[in-house]
Amino acid sequence: MAAELLDAKELARLGDLKLRARIVVEGALAGLHRSPHHGASVEFAEHKEYTPGDEVRRIDWKAYGKFDKYYVKRFEEETELRGYLCVDCSASMGYAGEGVSKLAYASLLAASLAYLLLSQQDQAGLVAFADTIRAYLPPRARAGQLGDLETALTKLTASGTTDLVRAVSYVSDVARPRSLIVIMSDMLSSGAETVALLRGLRARQHDVVLLHILDGDELRMPPARFDGPARFVDPEAEADELLADPRFARASYLESIGAFIAGLRSACAEGGVEYHVADTARPPSETLLELLRGRVRAKPMSARR
Amino acid sequence: MSFLVPAFAALAALALVPIAIHLFGRPRAERRVFPALAFLRASDRKTATQRRVRDVLLLLARAAVIALVPLLLAKPFVERPSDALAGLGATESAVIVVDDSRSMGYVLDGKQLVDRAKEEARRIVLGLGRSSEAAVLLTSKGSLAPASDLTSDRDRLTAAVAGIAPTQRTGDTGSALRRAVALLASANHPARRVYLVSDLAAHSVAGDLASVFPAGGPTLTTVDVTHGRALGNRAVTAVRVDAAPELGPHGVRVDAEIVNFDDKPASAVAVTLRLDGKAVAAGLVDVPARGRVVKRFLHTFRAPADSKPSAPGATHDGSVEIAGGDGLADDDRRFFRADEKKSVRVLVVDGDPRTQRRDDEVWYVETALHPGDLDDFQFDVRVLSPDELTRAAVDASDVLLLCNIKAPDAERIAFTRRLLARGGGLFLSLGSNVDPDAWNAAFGDLLPQPLAGLRTVGATRDGRDDGELAQAGVGERVDRIDRRHAILEPFAGRAQGGSADEGLREARVSRYALLKPGAGDRRVLLALEGGAPLLVEGRVGEGRVLLLTTTVDRDWSDLAIQPAFLPLVQQVVRYLASAPRADGEAGALVSGVRSVEVGEGETAIAVTSPSGKQALALDGERVQGRRSVECAATGEPGVYHVSAAREGGSLSPRPARDFAVNVDPAESDLAPIPPAQLAALTRPPASTDTSEPPRRRVELWHALGLALLALLVLEGLLGARRS
Repeated sequence: MAAELLDAKELARLGDLKLRARIVVEGALAGLHRSPHHGASVEFAEHKEYTPGDEVRRIDWKAYGKFDKYYVKRFEEETELRGYLCVDCSASMGYAGEGVSKLAYASLLAASLAYLLLSQQDQAGLVAFADTIRAYLPPRARAGQLGDLETALTKLTASGTTDLVRAVSYVSDVARPRSLIVIMSDMLSSGAETVALLRGLRARQHDVVLLHILDGDELRMPPARFDGPARFVDPEAEADELLADPRFARASYLESIGAFIAGLRSACAEGGVEYHVADTARPPSETLLELLRGRVRAKPMSARR
Repeated sequence: MSFLVPAFAALAALALVPIAIHLFGRPRAERRVFPALAFLRASDRKTATQRRVRDVLLLLARAAVIALVPLLLAKPFVERPSDALAGLGATESAVIVVDDSRSMGYVLDGKQLVDRAKEEARRIVLGLGRSSEAAVLLTSKGSLAPASDLTSDRDRLTAAVAGIAPTQRTGDTGSALRRAVALLASANHPARRVYLVSDLAAHSVAGDLASVFPAGGPTLTTVDVTHGRALGNRAVTAVRVDAAPELGPHGVRVDAEIVNFDDKPASAVAVTLRLDGKAVAAGLVDVPARGRVVKRFLHTFRAPADSKPSAPGATHDGSVEIAGGDGLADDDRRFFRADEKKSVRVLVVDGDPRTQRRDDEVWYVETALHPGDLDDFQFDVRVLSPDELTRAAVDASDVLLLCNIKAPDAERIAFTRRLLARGGGLFLSLGSNVDPDAWNAAFGDLLPQPLAGLRTVGATRDGRDDGELAQAGVGERVDRIDRRHAILEPFAGRAQGGSADEGLREARVSRYALLKPGAGDRRVLLALEGGAPLLVEGRVGEGRVLLLTTTVDRDWSDLAIQPAFLPLVQQVVRYLASAPRADGEAGALVSGVRSVEVGEGETAIAVTSPSGKQALALDGERVQGRRSVECAATGEPGVYHVSAAREGGSLSPRPARDFAVNVDPAESDLAPIPPAQLAALTRPPASTDTSEPPRRRVELWHALGLALLALLVLEGLLGARRS
């Protein structure tokens, strides 16, 4: 089996987050048939017939030799992209069904995205949040940034409640305009104001991506694992307990969670926020590939304008 | 609720086990962290109520199943106030008399009374005391008792009751009750009772029944299956067919008597006359409450092919029907045979002519054959003196009546014999001109039995013209009447009320001839108190001979002035001439024994019922040489058809011998027994304790079994859905 198809549980055995991120990214890019090593920060775009006013140094003399006309080489304008990778590390993100925890999955995705950004000479930063901002690494494109990110992500533990509003507000404050903001959260404590804030980020010309991290248990509530009555506890409010029999509630629950996801997807679509469900049971590379494919269809990963 | 096996009922407490397990033994629910609790909670809120109800139902169903099994084994029952008979349940010897007569075929509220009677009889059987013994008898004439001896076998008794079927027969409750009392005479228990399950119609218990139940004997308990309800009914009770000369030689007059046995008048009752299966006439009649009307139909027979009158002497099957609407349909139709007119040529030889017609020997006979008020063409009567008796006159006759003549000469005997040889009839009556020895010598084998001499037992008028009696004495009455004989059938029924024999038994005979034993086949139709024959039949070849051992006038008997004389003479003449009856009513009653004449030389005879079944089939020595055979399979109302065959021949119809069988109209009157009469018959059994109302046991295991099955199904459904 190709490395890119390794799921998060198998990847977790590799230990080094940086290595795991590289495997994930390479797997995802292999799916895109594109290697980060062939990209260039300054890319040729097209030839344009020379007109007065164009810089003479841009004239392509080889083309002149072929066609006996002056053509000017036009290049993609290069702008250094700043990516803010926002990872929810509230207690609910610590839930691990049959695989890795949602936090571990989000961390791996964050590292992979950072690896990808940094590989393209873009800047990658980290915002870890729960009820407070747990960690913040400003976006940098330097060589040691990935190591710092790995260290910060590795130190994250799932605890506390989620205050997504605070986190988004924080990012909104610190992020320079036209940044890429990727929010990785289970969104279980989010309300309508969260989506409104995300749309606010979008209004500030940020490129906003919401990776909705959910465990397979939350998405499907497999009957094999939920086969009898239990006292269910909310990890973010342990006093909150519910005695329920999922055999009876399953159908209604799936309907509810499906409606919740559909509502989020719809709200994000309306606000120009890119939305992806990240199922922790899926290989991270698949999730990343879905994200990259979405962005390739919409625009390049790097925000070139 | 009580239990036959209470020990099992205690095990019903096991039902608490699942409840206890539920309350105390249920495992602690596992604690699970689940981030999407908010969604689960919302979902659980939607299903919690439904789940809780289902869980409770499941728990209750399981507890009930556990409880029901021992309860079933405990055989629970409850006791309810019973409408059962007082005293039922005590140990006794009982005879259950079930009325299965025709009137029990009445349909009340969609159910025949006989079925109700069976239910009541079954209840009595099941309600009898544990050691009781019982028998089951039926009331209809000729019925066989379903359980004729006392038995404690409940299964046998219930099977006997279940096997009771409605019949068309006439009821004879008196005889049945007498049989029941006789049966109880040898009973094992001192408490003896007769249960009469009947419609208690007055006709069913006619007569003095009180004497059947003497004090200290068995008691009678009646069960009225009608529950005192008045049962209205209408019936065709009689049909009479006569010639209608005003319509020509093929005209008949059909008089149908329709009786309304209801307390309300019946208006516009449709009456239909059917002949040979076709409705030929119809009309409407109004019948007053408890009244009767006679509907008269006039009809001319015509052959269907050419619309010409059919041949004289033809016979037709007929019925008169009234529209239904009452509960008893059997009597809404009455069958008859209609014979087209055929004149009988009768030659009467007057052996003692007088100038005063009233004193003439044959005046009564002549008058009987030609009633003054009827223009009847049935008999063509010619009266001669003995000297005028010629061969030509005899050859032109069907029947020869020799009344009080002196012994004829050989020539006259010869052409008399010729008459008999061609199937004619000879009637002989005695008188002062008869010398027994001379008659014996002259008639020889023509006499059914030789005359032995005369015997005087009462006053006679011999030799006096002034009407005074020459001697004193009361004479002898007619004692024995062979009602199975075709001549005397009209005297058999009591359907139309009045005396059954219409004065036949009232006749007194003062002088008659004694008879010597005869060598030939003979049949005594009438006999006197002393046993001497009065009317004897003999056969000579194809012919028939009837010998009256007294006079046909009033000299030796007063038979001639009895009401029975006219029909008797007409029947005798018709019979001798093999002429058909004009009275279609002269049929048999259902389940009665009908005598079917056997013709000379016939070796096989068969009778077919109205539905086409074979009612009688005899041949060989059972027919040969016999004058008649008896047909007892007459359980079906309608016209029975007779076929006969001679030696080596095949069966061919004998329409002249066809006969109609009808239900007894006495059964049509469902008027109840007067309460006073009923109260006199019934009295409560001595052993009955009337202070405590009777109670009946209702077993519940059937219901509990069904409940258990239902609960198992419910538990299965709930359990399956839960899992």
